[in-house]
Amino acid sequence: MAEWPTNRKYISGNVKRVDAAPKVTGKARYSSDIQANGWLYGMILRSKWPAAKILSVNLDKALKVPGIKAAVVARDGQFTVRYYGEEIAAVAGSSKQACLDALRAIEVNAQPSAGFVVHEDDGLKQDSPQVWEGTPNAGDPHVRNRGDMDSAFSECAAVIEGFYTSPVQIHNPMETHGNTVSWTDEGVTAWASTQGIGSVQDGFSGALGVDRSKVRVITDYMGGGFGSKFGPGVEGLLAAQLSKKAGAPVRLMLTRFDEALAVGNRPSSFQKIKMGALADGKLHAFQFENYGTAGIGAGADRGGGGGGVNIPAPYLYKVTNIHASQRGVAVNAGSARAFRAPGNPPASFGMECAMDDLAVKLGMDPVQFRLINDPVEIRRNEYKVGAAAIGWKDKYKKPGSSPGVVKTGIGCAGANWGGGRGSPDTQGEAQINPDGSIEIRIGVQDIGTGTKTVIAVVAAEMLGLKPEQITVKVGDTNFPPGPGSGGSATCASVSPVTFDICSNALQQLQSKSGIADARGDNWFAACKSLGVTPLKVTGQWQESLAGGPAYGVQFAEVEVDTETGLVTVKKIVAVHDCGLIIDRLTLESQINGGCIIGMGYALYEERVMDRVSGVVLNPNFETYKLSGIADVPEIEAILINMPERGVIGIGEPATIPTAGAIANAVANAIGVRVPNLPITPAKVLAALGKVPPITA
Amino acid sequence: MNTFQYATALSPDSARQLAGDHGAYIAGGNDLLGLLKDYLVSPDILVNIKSLPGLDTIQQGQDKWTLGALVKIAELEDSIDIQSVFPGIRDAASEIASPQIRNVATVGGNLAQHSRCWYFRHRDTVCLKKGGDLCYARESDNRYHCLFTGNTCISPVVSSLATTFAALDATAIVLRDGKETPMSMDALYHRAWENPLAHNSLEPGDLIVRVDIPTARSRSAYMQVSDKHAFDWALVSCAAAANIVGGKLDKPRVAVGSISPVPHQVEAANEFLDGKTLDDDTASQAADMILKDAKPLQQNAYKVPMAHALIRRTLLKLKG
Repeated sequence: MAEWPTNRKYISGNVKRVDAAPKVTGKARYSSDIQANGWLYGMILRSKWPAAKILSVNLDKALKVPGIKAAVVARDGQFTVRYYGEEIAAVAGSSKQACLDALRAIEVNAQPSAGFVVHEDDGLKQDSPQVWEGTPNAGDPHVRNRGDMDSAFSECAAVIEGFYTSPVQIHNPMETHGNTVSWTDEGVTAWASTQGIGSVQDGFSGALGVDRSKVRVITDYMGGGFGSKFGPGVEGLLAAQLSKKAGAPVRLMLTRFDEALAVGNRPSSFQKIKMGALADGKLHAFQFENYGTAGIGAGADRGGGGGGVNIPAPYLYKVTNIHASQRGVAVNAGSARAFRAPGNPPASFGMECAMDDLAVKLGMDPVQFRLINDPVEIRRNEYKVGAAAIGWKDKYKKPGSSPGVVKTGIGCAGANWGGGRGSPDTQGEAQINPDGSIEIRIGVQDIGTGTKTVIAVVAAEMLGLKPEQITVKVGDTNFPPGPGSGGSATCASVSPVTFDICSNALQQLQSKSGIADARGDNWFAACKSLGVTPLKVTGQWQESLAGGPAYGVQFAEVEVDTETGLVTVKKIVAVHDCGLIIDRLTLESQINGGCIIGMGYALYEERVMDRVSGVVLNPNFETYKLSGIADVPEIEAILINMPERGVIGIGEPATIPTAGAIANAVANAIGVRVPNLPITPAKVLAALGKVPPITA
Repeated sequence: MNTFQYATALSPDSARQLAGDHGAYIAGGNDLLGLLKDYLVSPDILVNIKSLPGLDTIQQGQDKWTLGALVKIAELEDSIDIQSVFPGIRDAASEIASPQIRNVATVGGNLAQHSRCWYFRHRDTVCLKKGGDLCYARESDNRYHCLFTGNTCISPVVSSLATTFAALDATAIVLRDGKETPMSMDALYHRAWENPLAHNSLEPGDLIVRVDIPTARSRSAYMQVSDKHAFDWALVSCAAAANIVGGKLDKPRVAVGSISPVPHQVEAANEFLDGKTLDDDTASQAADMILKDAKPLQQNAYKVPMAHALIRRTLLKLKG
């Protein structure tokens, strides 16, 4: 059975990204930078109606706009659009402005629907206009029952009831969705901004009817996806059609506006929780009703986990008596997709708020309450480590008891992530040259998390070389197949494969060169013995080198101005177990990013749908608010290194508990619960009872 | 955006001439480019005014200081002289947008910027302000909107400088067909108070050339609250200016931003404060007077307590 080396030079160390220099100097070419020979701009016309029948689309005038080379309709014949922003047509032309002009020249004959629904509560109403004709907007509930709720609650020493809600969150990766696509008789080449070159290859192949062997997908550098970039997308398929028509490569990158409408989001949650514990603090009864929206769809699973409405409940905890009921509500809005730890951040937020509320009612310390109820020893230990790091004992006070106008508070929450184990199908290869240079190729993609660096670190460790001596090539479907970057699986997929490639290389070098140990100082001599023929070796995934699941807890310390309602996060302590740490720097970077997105979820982010017009009101970074540098506190990442568990992915667990921890810290500061994310100044003032009633 | 001509003016007169009836002036361009790209305005010519002589300086005088319309927001933020004489202006400047924007944004542009109402700015809603027949914000999502207005539109003034200038009783000098027209901050925005289509009182071709700030008040302060800690619009902003003579307020003025189409000022409150010793209770009473006639809507009532706190704090900040 393969085992990681115990004496480690680079693994678990601090290795800078192998591509740091090209990234900070602008030399790195992202998908959105690709300028294929003779390329054209592509752009999409989107529905300005939340619901309409499209009777006809006339492209004639658009095609006459100077510079326009092709135009296509999104769907043939008459069709129905079901949300603001749904694709209607697309154009390709030699300049951005030509495309903009052409979009305005397209004539759309549409019959807007009289009725539409964009808010969850409206969708729940019996008589609400149906998003899908003949189908009620509110789906049948998924119900789970265990035990007798009535008697269970009567046995409890304390019972709380809360209604915790979280909004629809938009992925908003820094690089927008899109591709440059060239479709010729020879096949399709797509430079895609994707987290899954393999799934994009599949998507193009299937949708365009082109053999998979004739579809090549390339992703050299990529600016994030957070779960929303596994397929070619409507935008990719439209780019392909435009390319074929125009006889030229088409670069169709979405705008920030488009990102808010049609390329995925995290479903909302409206969680009614009634929960009780026995006198000894043991959770005893849990009643849960949740609804939320995934837009027009349930969130098609494209290989990175679903974007469905249902969330795990009662999340981390075991409760004897459970009644749980969940359902999705369709509304006229873009469909959800997998989003960093699908289902978990809202689950953690709702449940962990309920945990704190119940702890307060029991008169019990919230950390102690979790130690009693959390079934996982690793996480219980993390609570102890985190509590010590943030100074819980001194800082935790009775809710609302902090003196003065600006009150301080502290809170915590936990995370569970079943993924992170790696994909057994991952393969890789290396070419080792007589001059000692080595190139490792895996058909995975580095979505900004440091995958190339991880491969270099493992190879350097195994071969006794320096990371910079390893050439790493990823992001090409011509390489041996790698995993989609979803489920936090990438690190635990590529590390064992790299291990195996290197083991095989050492073995073969030994037999070819007769040098017993080809590592380190012997490497170049061993390679030289290859003569003129490079050595090619392959590698497979090794189960014994990867592990899971991942557990984490986070603590947050906040200040709340009780007169203005402004919440300031002072510190986050993030304690995560990561099995064997490959590279501490990229790992900490993942945790920082997870906390920052989680903080946006807690305090700032919310897709706002307009009830009257049906549009997304904030399709920009002006009013869709993201954490900025001035908002981000000190983040202390505490990594629990457990090499014996193998490599475990951390991307997703790192974002799960942040919102719950911050929400609990706010409640601890001001003594009342703000149960609705994002926790804006307006909501804090309302929770404090400072907002006058509206008389008009 | 639609096509337009582009010209650089070397004198105010030629700028006016070039602009004609359907032109627009461009300096920093932060607001204008957004309006152009969203097809909210389609001028036939952009007149570059960055080369107009003498408009990019801060002039210090005995009775008044003059800020040229082309002075950058970053200069207000960085100027040690502004910091010592008009700390309120410095504090307002430091809260505007981001450092990148402050490096190119100008005093004139900040005053002349148009509404940020998300219905006005949205490409697919034709609201009252754009000539439609419905104020969507009134019917729907008004979390960022006005507590006061003289018409149906509830889009607030968002210029942080306007709020501060109002408290300092500053005057914008507007070149109107070759003639210098002084406008108080109240006058500069008054049309937006009564006309939903307007966001200020400027006529086509009007050019803000400078702002005169009386030195009559030695103390000034500015504060705002946003959802975020930087690079975010104020939910409510407040500026105050006064002297403190023998422990008592002299010539006090308070203005509140983002709650009305104009910098919101209540003369009765200024009079009430005049001659008073500044303490929490006095400041609180003034805040009551300033917010007395607020008409909160479904989602913006939080602005009432927020503004109350800000008025108190900004006044107390005058004590230094």
